[in-house]
Amino acid sequence: MEPLALLWDGILAATDPAIFACTILGAVIGLLIGALPGLGPTAGVAIMLPVAAGFGGVAAIACLGGVYYGSMFGGAITSILLGIPGDAPSVMTVIDGYPMAQKGEAGRALGTSVFASFVGGFLGIAGLVALSVPVSRYALAFGPTEMTAMMCFALSLLSVLGGRNAFKGFTALALGLWLGMVGLDPISGLPRYTGGSMNLFDGLDFSIIAVGLFGLTAIFTSLEVNVDKPVAKYTFASLLPRVSDAVQTRWQLLQGSVVGFFVGVLPGVGASAATMISYALAKRLSPTPEKYGTGIVEGVAAPEAANNSASYGSMIPLFTLGIPGSATTAVMMGGLIMVGLQPGPLLFTENPEFVWSVFGSFAIGNLALVFLTLLLTPLLAAALFVPTAYLYPIVIAVIVYGVFAIDASTFNVTLTILAGGAGIILARLDYPAVPLILGLVLGPLLERNIRRTLIQSQGDLLVFVERPIALGLFIATVFVLLIPLFLKLTGRKKIAADEAEV
Amino acid sequence: MTYGLSNFVKHGRAVGLGLLTAAAIAVSAAAAEYPDKDIKMIIPFGAGGGSDTLARTIAGVIEEMKLIPVKILPENRTGGSGAVGYSAVAKEKGDPYHLATVSVSFFTTPLLGGSPVSYKDFTPLAAIAQSPYIMVVPTSSEYQKLDDLKKTPRFTTGTTGVVSDAALLAKMTSNALGIQIDSVPFDGEGEVMGALLGGHVNVGFLNPSEAMAQMKAGKLRPLAITSAERSPAFPDIPTFKELGYGEILHTQLRGLVMPADVPPEVVTYWEGVLQKVATSEQWKKQYIDRFHDIPDYVDAKGFKEVLERTNARYETMMKELGIIK
Repeated sequence: MEPLALLWDGILAATDPAIFACTILGAVIGLLIGALPGLGPTAGVAIMLPVAAGFGGVAAIACLGGVYYGSMFGGAITSILLGIPGDAPSVMTVIDGYPMAQKGEAGRALGTSVFASFVGGFLGIAGLVALSVPVSRYALAFGPTEMTAMMCFALSLLSVLGGRNAFKGFTALALGLWLGMVGLDPISGLPRYTGGSMNLFDGLDFSIIAVGLFGLTAIFTSLEVNVDKPVAKYTFASLLPRVSDAVQTRWQLLQGSVVGFFVGVLPGVGASAATMISYALAKRLSPTPEKYGTGIVEGVAAPEAANNSASYGSMIPLFTLGIPGSATTAVMMGGLIMVGLQPGPLLFTENPEFVWSVFGSFAIGNLALVFLTLLLTPLLAAALFVPTAYLYPIVIAVIVYGVFAIDASTFNVTLTILAGGAGIILARLDYPAVPLILGLVLGPLLERNIRRTLIQSQGDLLVFVERPIALGLFIATVFVLLIPLFLKLTGRKKIAADEAEV
Repeated sequence: MTYGLSNFVKHGRAVGLGLLTAAAIAVSAAAAEYPDKDIKMIIPFGAGGGSDTLARTIAGVIEEMKLIPVKILPENRTGGSGAVGYSAVAKEKGDPYHLATVSVSFFTTPLLGGSPVSYKDFTPLAAIAQSPYIMVVPTSSEYQKLDDLKKTPRFTTGTTGVVSDAALLAKMTSNALGIQIDSVPFDGEGEVMGALLGGHVNVGFLNPSEAMAQMKAGKLRPLAITSAERSPAFPDIPTFKELGYGEILHTQLRGLVMPADVPPEVVTYWEGVLQKVATSEQWKKQYIDRFHDIPDYVDAKGFKEVLERTNARYETMMKELGIIK
């Protein structure tokens, strides 16, 4: 119970007015940045870095941490209300959150996302505090070979998200995989599918595509149907969160938190992949998978718990090993150096008070965000009372601003609009957008790790089955793929639920 | 809407360019008054990264020591692997109110054909520190010293991106020791470190600040350092030269550049400023001690030679790898 006592001391230290103020400042900024389509946690932490560095010491890192997990709370807001992912890790929240809002349950959906974010955050902090040392060892055991197996396993789980028509689902996935290849070849260095444009050298930013493909497409399509779409009959009750939802979704909350934590801790994977795996798993394990995608609280709870928990998981390699496993933690590491600390394995032993105070601030920030967001929920949900003729122009302006702010580049804005246009074509032809996004996120991870493994092994494919973790994951992959087939052959129920609309 | 926006930007740039050219002419006419307005420091990479920290620290020290009468305004202009930011500076030909720092992408992106500008489109001012690389193995490995590596024919190392100093050093070390070190490209320094500590690659060529923390914690063992002389921060690590491999000499110079064709008196002015920075207590405290670089001042001429040599090295390596013809 020593970590608990240390955490308690840390929480007390973090109640220092200056640190507390910086924590809240970070959390609120994170909330806003998360809600702003396009801008995500990495950009948010980077924007705040020069400001936060000025606070010095614990306050600086408490503030940056606040931006990080605050954005995980905020990302859900636009995902649910408008169907526009606020940032990359909240793409999966759109799938059930947006239909809920359209059914007039925006308050419930937002409430669920707040509960889920809190539970994910709480369990994530608990894991960060109690398990950081063994978990960091587990993270190191994942080399390119293991990551390849992990990605295969993830894709096998995700095959459940393909939509009604398997052929169209796989086509969309292939399209996503192809889009993931645009940019400089990560292994050989040659430009691929860039058409010579240097704007494409860094590849397609997944959040920019997602904002266009989900957000703009939703707006364009609804405009096409009826500009003065009558606002659905919302009652005041529909704006309020329901505590009973937290109880109802307890298993999805737990599952999402655990998956988010263990996926988030892996270097280079990140919260977005964690939400995808968590959502797919929730659907797989559900007795009624066909309901996923129609707007149910379970579909909001799983990914929202996962992204918060993943944000703390990804901080473990940073604090225990001095290894930033994601773009966001790399910026946070810059913050640690700027306040005069040396991130590395000795950070805990040399500066225990610092580390525990920072962790304490996380606990405070996580709790504070629950109150902030619950209070805001009715207000935010009321945005849906605004007629689309007023709402959409504002939303489009906000999207353009958010996307432009990532790199101050008009190219990205064009890209979002193109993605929005492509989204309409896909929707018309009934190709699901989700597999495309999965391909875009997981494709590069899969490709890179296969090629890294083959460089290491000098082309020998046997390495994939010689390493125990990789072998285990491959066996699990085969199982996941074969179970539905087996059940179908033996005439029992269908698990894969490919009929469900995604 | 996009059309309108980009049009606006182009228009704005054209006006800016005109003003700046006018300013440049005014400056060369009365160079004694330089600088008479704030100087833009373009950082072609995102906030929080190595380039960003370097640029902001230099700007901070200059301001703290009041070395110039105007302000330096750091600005991040990311995209295109550095091409966007570097072209923004190079475009202001002859204008001594734009600064940038040098990075690996400064050379590699243009070599790949990914940038309209190359190192030739810049005026080197001076360098104020050099960052060596430290070759390391995990402490659990059987190799105690550099020559022990010769017992094994093949190794792997992690590099950030395909063309990097680590990849370059792997090649140089392979040739010098008669072994084979294959580079596995990762997406960030953190992933490289994870692969090294997790035993997924065998050797590493790390920045001093990355290596320091892990060596202090006893996770990594240093074999050699790539500077000409031992680094004050690591007095116990032998140089490759001492160990009989004088050809393995490669450090990253931390220096500033301006667009091409700035007046020579501006270069002299900045040599003076940067020499003061290089020898200052503030620079030592805020950068050298924090990142464990080697304090060193290199004037414009010397810096230019290093830039040319570094570019040639990358060019050769990329040709050998078949990336460019």
